Amino acid sequence: MGGTGRDPLGPGSLRWRTGRERPEDEVAEEFAHHLDSLRHDLVAQGMSPDEARVEAFRRFGNVERLSRETEMIDRDAIGRRRRSERVGAFFRELRLSARALRRSPGFSVAAVLTLGLGLGATTAIYALLDAVVLRPLPYPEAERLVQVGSLLPGLGADQRWGMSEAGYYHFREHARAFESLGMMSTMEVTVTGDFEATRVRAGVVTASLFQVLGVTPALGRAFQDEEEREDGPRTAILGWDYWQTRFGGEPVVGRTIEVFGAPREIVGVMGEGVHLPTQRVDLWLPQVTDPARSPVNYHWVSAVGRLRSGVDIEAAAAEAGHLTGRFTTVFPEAYSDGFIEEYGFSTYVSSLHREVVGPTGRTLWVLLGSVSLVLVIAVANVANLFLVRVEARRREVAVRGALGADRNDLALHFLGESALVAAGALAVAFAFALVLIRALVATAPPGFPRLDQVGITSGSVVATLLAALVVAVGFGFGPLLRSTPSGVPEGGSRFTTSRGRRAVRGAFVVTQTALAVVLLAAAGLMLQSHRHLRAVEPGFDPAGAVTFQLSIPSASYPSWTSTFEFHRELIARIEALPGVATAGITTGLPPVTPSGCAALAFEDRPMQPGEQPPCESGAMASPDLFRTLGMRISGTPSGWTEMATGSAGVVVTRAFADRFWPGQDPIGKGLRGNGDTPPFYRVVGVVEGVRAHGIDEPPSRIVYFPLLPIEGAPLWVPPRSVHVVVRSEGPPPITLVPALRGVVAALDPDIAVASPRTMGEVVAGSEAMTRRSFLLVILAVAGSMALLLSAIGLFGVISYMVAQRRQELGIRLALGADGRRVRGLVVRQSMTLVAVGLVLGMACALVGTRTLTSLLFEVSPTDPLTLGAVSLVLLGTAALASWLPARRASRIDPMRAMRTE
Amino acid sequence: MATCTCGEGRPGPSGKLRVRVELLQGTLDMLILKALSGGPLHGYGVARWLQFVTDGALLVEEGSLYPALHRLARKGQVQAEWGISEHNRRAKFYTLTPAGRQQLQTEARGWSDLSRVIARVMDAEPAPSGSG
Repeated sequence: MGGTGRDPLGPGSLRWRTGRERPEDEVAEEFAHHLDSLRHDLVAQGMSPDEARVEAFRRFGNVERLSRETEMIDRDAIGRRRRSERVGAFFRELRLSARALRRSPGFSVAAVLTLGLGLGATTAIYALLDAVVLRPLPYPEAERLVQVGSLLPGLGADQRWGMSEAGYYHFREHARAFESLGMMSTMEVTVTGDFEATRVRAGVVTASLFQVLGVTPALGRAFQDEEEREDGPRTAILGWDYWQTRFGGEPVVGRTIEVFGAPREIVGVMGEGVHLPTQRVDLWLPQVTDPARSPVNYHWVSAVGRLRSGVDIEAAAAEAGHLTGRFTTVFPEAYSDGFIEEYGFSTYVSSLHREVVGPTGRTLWVLLGSVSLVLVIAVANVANLFLVRVEARRREVAVRGALGADRNDLALHFLGESALVAAGALAVAFAFALVLIRALVATAPPGFPRLDQVGITSGSVVATLLAALVVAVGFGFGPLLRSTPSGVPEGGSRFTTSRGRRAVRGAFVVTQTALAVVLLAAAGLMLQSHRHLRAVEPGFDPAGAVTFQLSIPSASYPSWTSTFEFHRELIARIEALPGVATAGITTGLPPVTPSGCAALAFEDRPMQPGEQPPCESGAMASPDLFRTLGMRISGTPSGWTEMATGSAGVVVTRAFADRFWPGQDPIGKGLRGNGDTPPFYRVVGVVEGVRAHGIDEPPSRIVYFPLLPIEGAPLWVPPRSVHVVVRSEGPPPITLVPALRGVVAALDPDIAVASPRTMGEVVAGSEAMTRRSFLLVILAVAGSMALLLSAIGLFGVISYMVAQRRQELGIRLALGADGRRVRGLVVRQSMTLVAVGLVLGMACALVGTRTLTSLLFEVSPTDPLTLGAVSLVLLGTAALASWLPARRASRIDPMRAMRTE
Repeated sequence: MATCTCGEGRPGPSGKLRVRVELLQGTLDMLILKALSGGPLHGYGVARWLQFVTDGALLVEEGSLYPALHRLARKGQVQAEWGISEHNRRAKFYTLTPAGRQQLQTEARGWSDLSRVIARVMDAEPAPSGSG
């Protein structure tokens, strides 16, 4: 439209201009003109006035209907015109904004990158947190699922134990709080059948577990109670993925596979994506138990229950406490009052979700906290950049205002700028988040739950978009509030800036510095912990050794002797391989020996009646294990012949010896497990400072029993699941693996070599290391981002301050102040801000880093060295960031400075 | 909205018998554009011009010109502006815009094509029944 008049519906321009467009008035006037003219002409043709009036209306038609129709068209036209004007104005301003941003590429790139990285990091961590922690477990009514187990604070404050078998059945029968209760555990099994041996993780569960979890097989049926019995039918259920990859999705129900060499009938295929709450499993096997077995004080049952609807965890826990109190009467042979008192035995009921997520949840919250801090810094930084920019453009704004641009246009302009920045930042954010998620998943420690479900979800996309929107609107309108074109330039002289604005900028710098201090302190403490961990003397030498796992089926190796002979032959053949120095076997590989303990009896300290026997870690070891692991040993460990003839002794760790025979020579002392009467095993060797349960744990107390028990002092079960360790003579140890596989296959083709790794990898992959290195990486990234961001922020603010005070500084220089003094002035000003931020940040860090305490290793959360180093780094960076603007200040040419305004 | 104005088959002021004319959809727009092609007119002027050139054969319900005019304005084919009429009154004058002129040409061409085709059909010998 357009043309001469600006309004398509016709002028009356004044009215349009004032914005009061009234179509009904216009149409009425137009119609009146028509009717009057018509009547006038009719009268002129000779009609009487009355006749003419009637005839005019007749010819015109229904006035009311026609005017309504016409008015509607006009209103519609007005609406369309306004909309297109508004859109046009928006795009015009957007073009202006884009041009303005292009003119200052430094600002644009800094703002987009700063915001993008901050948003991206937050999105990535949020995605991780969402998948791992926030999302409920993938079962129907998962909030009713609980874990039931035992606490034995007397053995270890934070450790959780399973239920005893007797306790489990007692609960199944008597506990009213549970709708159902089941057992679950996992084990690595070797599967054979029509194909080569594969090693898969199997979930070993009771038939009731399927009811507890609320899952049913997709094909076939679930387990039945009789399959739990020792003499029951041997069955298995395939996991969906395993069925797809191994059996190509063919009908398998009714077919037979061999697990550890024993045939089992496949009775079903589990639904797609159904796994245990704790781990993915490819195979489901029935747990063999026996309610009639005599009660033993042995807490191995990992029990999961489904609460009756309406029953809460507190009620279930109260009932569990009541039932546990009856154990001493119901199972007097297993639970004595003394035991309960000494170890503080009790039964806990805890949300399964919490147990599965475990300490990972804490780690992730720490991470989310730190990246959020980075985001806050980023936002503060960009806000500051915008503010500085607006200040610098006050004159432009004022001029545009004076030239008639109204507030809306200016708002659109700033909104356009921030919208463009936010859009760019979003693109950066999503790209960065994708990269970061992939990196996080790849470096996450083993045992990190539910990682396979991590991804950018619609929820996190929406959250990120919202955050960007808030930022865009905030930055768009923020400057406007501060720069209302209240008349003509305040920009004439720049001698003064308002105290308020300066305070805001100062606050930004202080906040950023403080946040950077907190993050750097956390990262520094983690770094220290990591350094200390790496410096720990683990009591063995990981270099040059390789290890793998092995399980032999009890069907083929039913006895102690057959198991022992297998191991002996295996080691003999391995040691015969070229490049192998020595090889050993153990059930407890440091530093990943499972915790747990066995009651021990000592020859030289008879038990008092009612006294509980000491409970210590035990493992079995072959003769050369200690040499193979490079342990420092005194004494002579028993050889194969002594083991075979039942005359072998035990090796204990130094910590063990110090605990039970302080100040004495442990060699020759007698001890045994699984009984308390002679004969005893003789201590034949002591190994120094072995950290068997984790590099971050103190040296462990462990007894290494021989692979074959001595006559009269039986051990528990034959060591069918073992770690084999091989020390190389020269070649990189991992290159030995193919030959090792060959040896195992030649010895028994039904046995698979599992997880071959170098000992270095075992140490690096152990929980103690990975838990910290994961956090360390993130904190280090977050911390250095924070440092960089606050340096940029400081640089911006100080540069701006210098620009603002150009005239003043010019005058000072003209009056004879030398460059050094001016530089000092500027640096002093910025360092004051930084110092305030530093103090504030230290205060926060002292409080905040306490959440890290459990992850720190031999470092106090207030470690003065770390905090001092952080302060130095920060002050150094700040000095650097303010040095450049300060130098510029001292080079101001007084004449030009004073002429510019 | 298509203004169907039907003559009533009775003697008009001029004494002639009126022809029944049905206006096809959109035809009124074309007539208005044609009316304005000679220069700006107000709505009453358009009505009078149409009456004059058709010799009163096309009896349009005059008020229905206005929705059509305003619609054309919304489409940008005419432009409206308040001015002073010959009787010294405020009246809204409509002017053809370039887009309107374009539209008029297109429609006039279409109309003459259509009427030629129809005329040819009406002049042709009817086909003998039974074909053969």
